[in-house]
Amino acid sequence: MGVLSLRQGLHLAAILGLLGAAAFPPYWMFVTSLTPSAALFADRARLLPTLSEAAAYREVFRTIPVATWLVNSAIVATGTTVLSIALAILPAYALSRFRFRGKGIFGFALFATQMLPEAMLVVPLYGIFAQMSLLDSLIGLILANTAFTVPVITWILKGAIDGIPIEVEEAARIDGCSRIDIVLAVVVPLVAPTLAAAAVIAFFHGWNEYVFAQTLVSSEALRTASVGLAGFVGELSTPVHSVMAVSVIYTLPAVIFYLFVQRYVVSGMTAGSVKG
Amino acid sequence: MTSNKRVSMIVAAGMAFAPLLGSTAAIAQSKETITFAGATFAEAGRGEKLKAWVEKFNKSQDKIEVQPLAIPFSTLANTVFTQMGGGGGPDLVRFDQIDFYAAVPANRLLPLDDAIKDTDYNFTAPDKYLKVGGKRYGVAFEISNYVLIYNKSLVPGGKPPATFEEFLASAKAATVDGKFGFAFRATMAERAGFWQDVCNFVFGFGGRWSDDAGNPTVNSDKVVEGIAAYKKVYDLGAIPKGADAATYRRMFWEGKLAMEVDNGGVAAIFNQQAPDLPLAAAPSPFPTRAQGLILAPLTINANTKHKDAAIAFMKWVLRPENQRELQDIIGASSVATIVERSADDIAKKPWLKVFDDQTPNAVPQLVIGLETKTPDIQQIVLEQVLKVLQGGMDPKKAMDDAQRMVTARVVKK
Repeated sequence: MGVLSLRQGLHLAAILGLLGAAAFPPYWMFVTSLTPSAALFADRARLLPTLSEAAAYREVFRTIPVATWLVNSAIVATGTTVLSIALAILPAYALSRFRFRGKGIFGFALFATQMLPEAMLVVPLYGIFAQMSLLDSLIGLILANTAFTVPVITWILKGAIDGIPIEVEEAARIDGCSRIDIVLAVVVPLVAPTLAAAAVIAFFHGWNEYVFAQTLVSSEALRTASVGLAGFVGELSTPVHSVMAVSVIYTLPAVIFYLFVQRYVVSGMTAGSVKG
Repeated sequence: MTSNKRVSMIVAAGMAFAPLLGSTAAIAQSKETITFAGATFAEAGRGEKLKAWVEKFNKSQDKIEVQPLAIPFSTLANTVFTQMGGGGGPDLVRFDQIDFYAAVPANRLLPLDDAIKDTDYNFTAPDKYLKVGGKRYGVAFEISNYVLIYNKSLVPGGKPPATFEEFLASAKAATVDGKFGFAFRATMAERAGFWQDVCNFVFGFGGRWSDDAGNPTVNSDKVVEGIAAYKKVYDLGAIPKGADAATYRRMFWEGKLAMEVDNGGVAAIFNQQAPDLPLAAAPSPFPTRAQGLILAPLTINANTKHKDAAIAFMKWVLRPENQRELQDIIGASSVATIVERSADDIAKKPWLKVFDDQTPNAVPQLVIGLETKTPDIQQIVLEQVLKVLQGGMDPKKAMDDAQRMVTARVVKK
């Protein structure tokens, strides 16, 4: 293998540059979490983590209910993901396969929900949840997040179902499958990669969501990590170490989840891009 | 496994899981629980002490329990107003002064005249600002004056500047070796604090946002002088531009910042975080002694279903022994009623006296006569100040424009 050509060298440099740009913020977060307090405002920033400061992480778990926050976030994110996908499959199938009056309006209405910011909806939602005794509960939070993710996931799944030849379903029907069995036994497995991509969207929404989590939940025991993290920014002071340490911890589960479903996501995104 | 069995298992799992997700309100409680929201519960040092102070109330009661809710300062008003708009929200709220004046006209707060009588308590002077339209809507939880706080080891000669020109020279001279001479806020991301800092400059230069009749005077000569001084400091090359208040305050107790004009609560935190820091205070280095006043009222949400319990807590707060303890916790700030400091306290922390002596010169950071419209005027003024700081607009023109906008959009609305 010879020396890289100029073109290959430029490509490599560009790739490394982009990789560095993407990796630097989390790296800096990690370095800052391990920088001694007195060195935070030193003339020269430390580029390498001070590993002797690793006890800061133990301290965070000891003094702050980070584990509770993460469990709550995981419940909300997982609940949002499962519920969103469960609720989106049938409308996606209906939009793809059926002709019915108002189909266009229904499809547009789903998109229209995405045009309204959460901040605008949170007041009426708070009132409705209060009536239904859903305030200060993770179930309420899951429902609120699901309401936001279902439209997006419905459209993503509709696109994937459009790509399944109708003959496959007809064959299943000849074999005696009911419509619902066709959806569950034939369509769902075929759109599994797209479901994985949709799961990532729903999970990240549930994991990162802040406005609903801050407003609809008040008990400290039910606080999610996004709210807990924001709570560090005080009126008079902000403990930079703790913020960065918790940020690193907060990021990890989401990254692990993404790595877990990543190969399905890639195949889901490319599914249907080439018609054969 | 059949479909029916699968569904049954999912339902059963859901039912088993549900209690984990459910409302804490569902947990049987013998006491009537009320919630008390405040950003101050999240503060390092003071937060835990305040929670312990609230716990003293809980232990003294067999029927009421107050649950402190720490809401981030930056989102407290938005969160609480959203909840109030939805018909709920915490029973008790420690508001920032400006949000208090937004909550009153929106009928979000409970009038307290029947419960809290003026004659029963020896209230501090700023208590009068908690009455709107002749009605009381809260009691002061924290009253804090602004003065110049400085690090004796970083200020040239170890002495505070007495005039504005001396201050500029000191700030510049102290900006060496990665240290900064002064810090203040200049971004809309910290709107409330930005307004407080601008008010200190404007008041210090003799300006006021309105005249005695309540007409806006945001383009008066003295206000323009204050804004021009703000710009002069912004361009001095002596401030950590972009650093938010939490960061530059931390810089102060880390010995990286020489001076700032700040309130007594901040001085107390510096003293807690770095007891060996050569902390000192002096009157702010402006032509007049007038400076802003932080008034954080304790209020009761009009939506509360626990009115009597909330009032019981408020009356407990106003008891002399609890006021004294609260003042000890919040440091260089004052509380609702007059509490004398001990000679020992003053001897240990001489800067306390500087804050206390500032009280006669303290002016609320509000547009007097247009208190309820302060948030709207604040927005207009700060946007114009940003044009001066970042766009280089002439201060006089910026404030003339602000005056026109305030008159057209706010006063005549």
